[in-house]
Amino acid sequence: MDNFEPLIAVFSCHYCSYAAADLAGSSRIQYPPNIRIIKVPCTGRVSVNHILMALEDGSDGVYVAGCLKGTCHFIRGNYKAEKRVQYVKDLLSEINIEPERVQMYFMSAAEGTKFANVALEMTEAIKKIGHSPLNKSRS
Amino acid sequence: MNTELRIGVFICHCGINIAGVLDIKGLCEYAKALPNVVTAQANLFTCAETGTSAIKKAVKDNNLNRVVVAACTPRTHEPLFRASCKEAGINPFLFEMVNIREHCSWVHRHNKDAAQAKAGDLIRMAVAKAAFLEPIETFKSKVEPLTLVIGSGIAGMTSALALADQGFEVILIEKEENMGGLLRHLHKIAPANVAASELIEEKIAAIKKNKRIKYFTSAILEEVTGYVGNFSVRFSCGNDSYTCKVGVIIVATGGIPLRPEGLFNYDGKNVITQSELEIKLKKRDIEAKSIVMIQCAGARIPERNYCSRICCMVAIKNCLYLKDIIKDAKIFVLFRDIQAYGVENEALLLKAREAGVRFIRYRPDTPPVVENGKVKIYHPAMGKEIFLPADLVVLSTPIVAHDDAESISRILKVPINGNKFFLEAHAKLSPLDFAFNGIYLCGNARYPATVREATCQALGAASRACITLSHDTIERVGTVASVQEELCSTCFTCIKVCPYNVPYINERGRAEIEPMQCQGCGICVAECPAEAIEFKYISDKQIMAACEALLAS
Amino acid sequence: MIVGERKPMEELLGMIEDFERILVLGCKGCVTVCCAGGPKEVKTLSTLIRMDRKQKGRKVITIEASTELQCEPESIRPILEKMANQYDVVLSMACGAGVQTVAKLFPDKLVLPALNTNFTGIAEEHGVWTEACLACGDCVLGRTAGICPVTLCAKGLLNGPCGGASEGKCEVSKDQPCAWQEIYHALKRLNRLHYLKQKPQVKNWPVHPGRVVREDLREVETT
Repeated sequence: MDNFEPLIAVFSCHYCSYAAADLAGSSRIQYPPNIRIIKVPCTGRVSVNHILMALEDGSDGVYVAGCLKGTCHFIRGNYKAEKRVQYVKDLLSEINIEPERVQMYFMSAAEGTKFANVALEMTEAIKKIGHSPLNKSRS
Repeated sequence: MNTELRIGVFICHCGINIAGVLDIKGLCEYAKALPNVVTAQANLFTCAETGTSAIKKAVKDNNLNRVVVAACTPRTHEPLFRASCKEAGINPFLFEMVNIREHCSWVHRHNKDAAQAKAGDLIRMAVAKAAFLEPIETFKSKVEPLTLVIGSGIAGMTSALALADQGFEVILIEKEENMGGLLRHLHKIAPANVAASELIEEKIAAIKKNKRIKYFTSAILEEVTGYVGNFSVRFSCGNDSYTCKVGVIIVATGGIPLRPEGLFNYDGKNVITQSELEIKLKKRDIEAKSIVMIQCAGARIPERNYCSRICCMVAIKNCLYLKDIIKDAKIFVLFRDIQAYGVENEALLLKAREAGVRFIRYRPDTPPVVENGKVKIYHPAMGKEIFLPADLVVLSTPIVAHDDAESISRILKVPINGNKFFLEAHAKLSPLDFAFNGIYLCGNARYPATVREATCQALGAASRACITLSHDTIERVGTVASVQEELCSTCFTCIKVCPYNVPYINERGRAEIEPMQCQGCGICVAECPAEAIEFKYISDKQIMAACEALLAS
Repeated sequence: MIVGERKPMEELLGMIEDFERILVLGCKGCVTVCCAGGPKEVKTLSTLIRMDRKQKGRKVITIEASTELQCEPESIRPILEKMANQYDVVLSMACGAGVQTVAKLFPDKLVLPALNTNFTGIAEEHGVWTEACLACGDCVLGRTAGICPVTLCAKGLLNGPCGGASEGKCEVSKDQPCAWQEIYHALKRLNRLHYLKQKPQVKNWPVHPGRVVREDLREVETT
């Protein structure tokens, strides 16, 4: 269990967090290799079912990374995403899965460092919580 | 889809940017073994001519119908590769790009094994997603080279004239009998010291003379349907009804000064508003010797919590004119804060003080009380109530939205804020656009503005409108949402959640989304409780496939 | 529309404990509109059930389907007949009427309600639904300017306010406005205050179960 490397799915919006991830890359900021990004035009595109799907299909953690509040390219997609993430947390609590496995983050396209820090933070957090109870067989 | 899927994967060395960390040959072998992959090739620099030619050749040689490129960020080269696909005869949206540089080789340099595994995962996810990509077409729409300007105040007229100067035809509608808006009733404008009537008459004459502008007064807007480039407008003038097709619309409906009924014993005779004072100043019909002006009368209070920005300068300007007309006038200005922004305004404020106008601050919890012939005010510095002589009390009231703002907002499907001023798409990034494409905003309708500000905004709005008007056709790539009517429950959810007010209920009683207006955010797609909205660009099936491929099976 | 809410997962999981093959049956009618039991919610609930079972190391198969109107047998029949032997239990996400229709139509299958049906109501805003109509069967809205004293008055008073309201708020439900004060102001605005002086009718409360018959619409038995 000491070498548990979590698998974390990330829903990332084209305008902000994906760009932040790119900036982290061009700045050569190193971060843990545990995240897998699924790009969406706006985090408002991500539905409750998508997040649940990502968990059911094997991620140990999922986070949605959208624009800073008030700066969503599509005006309020990130607020929608935040509400849906909270709803998923509530649903997970109802079936005794740790709600901390799912998070919402906000960042601007200029925050490459933040993107890397979030990837690190989430990886560490999921390492502490442990394997997803849905995927005990994965090592 | 009954044609066999034939996916080609192209993995980029990017010189040593990717190849320095990842084993490209290994990735090619891995990709080749993935479902539906027919060929997997490596390129040194895929974005170079050699790279794109290799893709096009591979498409032809292998009869590919999906292309996946694993390289740098799609935010730079995706358009290039989409164009290559198009040239090779594949719809540009049957293309998927994987980022194994910014998101992999550049950020996991010291962990090559993990980076290799991640790159493999990302390619596997992209190949799985590619199986569900669908061709997307571009919608084209002809642009009607005609503008509708609603409102003929200084903002509306400035826009109309600016557009006509650019060579575009304009229809200008005004609900009052006469054009000119608020400036018709004003005395002089400061700091320019120009008679408002002169300014307005000049503009009205220019409008009437201009062959490209058709103006209608006593005109009421009734219905607007359609989308940018193609709005259908209906308005009536008395008993006549007019319909026209316009390309863009400019909202310049203005505002009006609040009539402060019930505030400060307002009676329209001894206690008047600044606009009523302006009329008196115009006629030089003032007998008062002592005048007290009360600022923020009806503004910055719970029912109207905004600052109207212009009333302080209106008061200061009128103080100076009063000092000119009335010898030895005693003028007091009772204020909460003074809005005199900029060098010229500050200079006027100083001039007023030097002319002997007395400025006394009052606290909102102890407002002035207007009694017969005098005004009682608690002076914070003196610590007691004082009485000021007041033959005339002038209330500086805020500009408020017109009564019909709500109905216009519904007709145009554009939002208004809590104070019924129209809401722009973004206060800093698009201050003159509405979120709904093709409709623009300027002047008091947006927020209280000075003549200069209204004029600037009007020119800006006209300039924004020209961008659309200057094209014969506009294109919209079909990365838009579309309602599958047979699945729609007509629950109105999409209508409620769209930030751009695009969906509407069509004549079949089902929700419909105009592709030319849809911004492609996908919020409605995720929200629809019946899962009735399709989004080919990033469909549910594609996301599901990517999720299922997160783990190697 | 009819407004309902999904039962807490603990209760739902308890109900389906003994079953392995579960048909999660949504409805595209009212429960879709109130975002409680439409196709999207069916997917969410099915996923949660599978996730729960996987955690416990137990097998489950969820089948997802939605009827157009679950209160209409002909809307249910084709779906359930097609899946005849593929499920052990129906977990219906429709309102109580829908659940009962399925149960009546397929008496050999256990039908479980996934929702609590709350009321006939309206959407105040997206995501907020409030009770509007109790289906009392003897509508008095004509006398009360369209404001229902049966649902909006906490005491269900029919002839005027109780006098306990404070600052316009009900003495029982302190965050609700006093319905009868609202009715008074509305009637005054409409110049119909005299309605309040009319002799009150005794309300014809329904006996359950209710039944509405339109003879003109019924089929004629031809023998």
